[in-house]
Amino acid sequence: MGSLHLTSSRPQSQSIPLSKLQNGTTGCCTKTRCCYYGYYPFFPKPPFSLRNSQISYSFCCRNNGLALGFTVSYKLETSKDNILTQSKKKKKKEEEEDKKSKIVVPESNEEAPSLSEEGTAGISNGGTRQPATRKSQLGGVGGSWKSSIWRRVLAILSNLPLALAEMAAVAALMALGTVIDQGETPDFYFHKYPEDNPVLGFFTWRWVLTLGFDHMFTSPIFFGTLALLGASLMACTYTTQIPLVRVARRWSFLYSAEVIRKQEYTDILPQASIKDLGVILMGAGYEVFLEGPSLYAFKGLAGRFAPIGVHLALLLIMAGGTLSSAGSFRGSVTVPQGLNFVVGDVLGPSGFLSMPSEAFNTEVHVNRFYMDYYDSGEVRQFHTDLSLLDLNGKEVMRKTISVNDPLRYGGITIYQTDWSLSALQILKDNEGPFNLAMAPLQINGDKKLYGTFLPIGDVNSPDVKGISMLARDLQSIVLYDQQGRFVGVRRPDSKLPIDIDGIKIVIVDAIGSTGLDIKTDPGVAIVYAGFGALMLTTCISFLSHSQIWALQDGTEVIIGGKTNRAKGEFPEEMNLLLDQVPELVESSSPKQSDVISG
Amino acid sequence: MIFSTVEHILTHISFSIVSIIITMRLISFFLVDGIVQLYDSSEKGMIVTFLCLTGLLVTRWTYSGHFPLSNLYESLIFLSWSFSLIHIVPYFKKNKKYLSTITGSSVVFTQGFTTSGLLTEIDQSSILVPALQSEWLIMHVTMMILGYASLLCGSLLSIALLVITFRKNKKIISIKNLLLNESFFFIEIEYMNERSNLLQNTSFFSAKNYYRSQLIQQLDYWSSRGISLGFIFLTIGILSGAVWANEAWGSYWNWDPKETWAFITWIIFAIYLHTRTTRNPKCANSAIVASIGFLIIWICYFGVNLLGIGLHSYGSFTLLAN
Repeated sequence: MGSLHLTSSRPQSQSIPLSKLQNGTTGCCTKTRCCYYGYYPFFPKPPFSLRNSQISYSFCCRNNGLALGFTVSYKLETSKDNILTQSKKKKKKEEEEDKKSKIVVPESNEEAPSLSEEGTAGISNGGTRQPATRKSQLGGVGGSWKSSIWRRVLAILSNLPLALAEMAAVAALMALGTVIDQGETPDFYFHKYPEDNPVLGFFTWRWVLTLGFDHMFTSPIFFGTLALLGASLMACTYTTQIPLVRVARRWSFLYSAEVIRKQEYTDILPQASIKDLGVILMGAGYEVFLEGPSLYAFKGLAGRFAPIGVHLALLLIMAGGTLSSAGSFRGSVTVPQGLNFVVGDVLGPSGFLSMPSEAFNTEVHVNRFYMDYYDSGEVRQFHTDLSLLDLNGKEVMRKTISVNDPLRYGGITIYQTDWSLSALQILKDNEGPFNLAMAPLQINGDKKLYGTFLPIGDVNSPDVKGISMLARDLQSIVLYDQQGRFVGVRRPDSKLPIDIDGIKIVIVDAIGSTGLDIKTDPGVAIVYAGFGALMLTTCISFLSHSQIWALQDGTEVIIGGKTNRAKGEFPEEMNLLLDQVPELVESSSPKQSDVISG
Repeated sequence: MIFSTVEHILTHISFSIVSIIITMRLISFFLVDGIVQLYDSSEKGMIVTFLCLTGLLVTRWTYSGHFPLSNLYESLIFLSWSFSLIHIVPYFKKNKKYLSTITGSSVVFTQGFTTSGLLTEIDQSSILVPALQSEWLIMHVTMMILGYASLLCGSLLSIALLVITFRKNKKIISIKNLLLNESFFFIEIEYMNERSNLLQNTSFFSAKNYYRSQLIQQLDYWSSRGISLGFIFLTIGILSGAVWANEAWGSYWNWDPKETWAFITWIIFAIYLHTRTTRNPKCANSAIVASIGFLIIWICYFGVNLLGIGLHSYGSFTLLAN
């Protein structure tokens, strides 16, 4: 036994973590943090041979200011335990470990220990949640009445079918919100969902208005369901996922051939050495650990923990969204070119957390508003040249914004969202220039159309006549005479006069106004952080956590393995790997293996 | 002019190749079981289709000057390109016959629909309205459509699984009946004889059953892999869309119909992924969720466009088009 330990203490088992350390020297902090969680705890029962490498790990952890006390004491205790229980049956050992971890874990732990521990117990007892609830009842005798209720609520909330039902409910409400027209007047719903002819036999306007389905996405029912879903998310993360990390830590060496054979993938290699297998697995990216005759290897641990990250990221997004809706200001304004407005006048608070800031005193001056056009005459882009002035009238920032390119200053964001025509500047018989205000006209569909009117003759007469001017954009103005007949089209920049019934008119300029949306949103940073985390963790979740156990039984190596996601590819990958394991010549098996691995 | 000719040619080549492939598949399926050459050439055909579609997209990109995803027609071409991409990538892994059948026929349908007369008015590449002029367009739309494509593949596999499961159940019942009859019949005959006969029957039956359950397991597995992959794309697509919306309109979430439906799709497939986390997942349950998801993707992709409302009604931007 002892000599076996010695042989396995050499190169392979040590070289993995060491090489890892060398790779990770620059990014030591994150790497070791990872190790602290996923790496080290994989040794509740560390073999002697691996101790050196582990201590080097713990040392690195200490350098980064992480708790060390736990790691050492835990290791020593369990290694003793390991020797004692090695002969015992596996089930008993697990129970023993449960007890052990109950003693040891609390002192090490940052997140509230008692409950998650029970979750662990529940899972190790077959994955059902019933043991957990039973235990929580027992625990409640000693603890207060409140905490017992609290645990009961947690157990209910973390129930998967309930969570799925909540998700389905949110989806259904959202679907309903797109089917029912939102934000109309009550009259609209009276007509659309009349009582004498209900949709589907029961759905009338009473439903819509009582339940707030006319403003679904701000209705209490919708928010309530979302909040419930959020609560379930938290409860599930707390009671099921975090304990799962501990369960994952506990899985390690298997000592019995029967247990190994019960894995999803099994194989037996006659005439092979477990060390060769270890080297090959290492080459395939596995973290390999050897203890005497048994081997444990894993890969893609991140894939097992990433779903926790997904849940946390979702919670982050929810928190950010709440902050957005409670603490933001928004407003929109249409400003003619050349005019000013003060940011604070435009903005209105959206919730009770909305706090105005210094930057609200900023004055915005619209220097210029213009459009780019395609050759076909369609608008390519809208631009507004803005200057920001502080209280003393000093320019603090100047930027030309356009759609997709907003201005950001002191937490305020100004977006280009709309435009209109505010005035036409004309010369009448070389007099002027006069500014004619333009009014929006609704004629066909959603195309914008603006018009203005230049009275001719007696302005006070009851049927005043004059010249009409219409424009769709800033490019061309269409002119009609007093009888309403089409006269011609002029471009503002052409300066070409047009003669209408003896009156010479020059269109000097078409003055547009820019439509700006202004907002402050303290939640965006949090939401973006959540977005980033969600993208990353969703991608990592695709990775599959594969574990391999092997046992040297004479010249045979019994191999078992399982994986949690890529179950289809795993056997093929394993077969390819196992094909590479060299077959040993019977007489000199230990030496040869040393030669190969060395 | 030359561009439109090239485009025309490429569209028709890709469509005809895919149709030929499907015919070959059907022939090899119904008439001559397992002719390797036919299968091989159909794989080559898919590669040619993929190249044609790529060429088509590149051509459109060159002559319109922007990424070819500004209207429904272009997004459909991109969808069938994604299907063929999914087809091509697993091709190198050699073992995904189920998936390739699904992707092949999906390409035919989308390509057929695109090239059919239904969409003639909108196949002209239009100009980009101001709101679409952003680098986010490429990221958002490619991710969304790749997501749709792989989710559609995954959920189609799930539908196939459902069909097979229910057919299997029926067969089991009929086989059971048969066994019963036989056992009654054999009462007259010697005991040993009957027993051996029954044994034969059951072994035959179980072998057949074994293959079916193998098939179901494979379908289940590949559909879940497809859906997980699609889920990643969908997540990235939705989130990049949200970031883009925050750049363009000042709000990362507007409850626009398209957004809402994309979110509903996301939730449905999240439910699918959760139904699989239980200890003993039943294939049928998650497959039902996936088939609901299939419908919802189409509502999200087409239904919302047909309503023509909201910011995503490709090309009719009431707010910003003058």
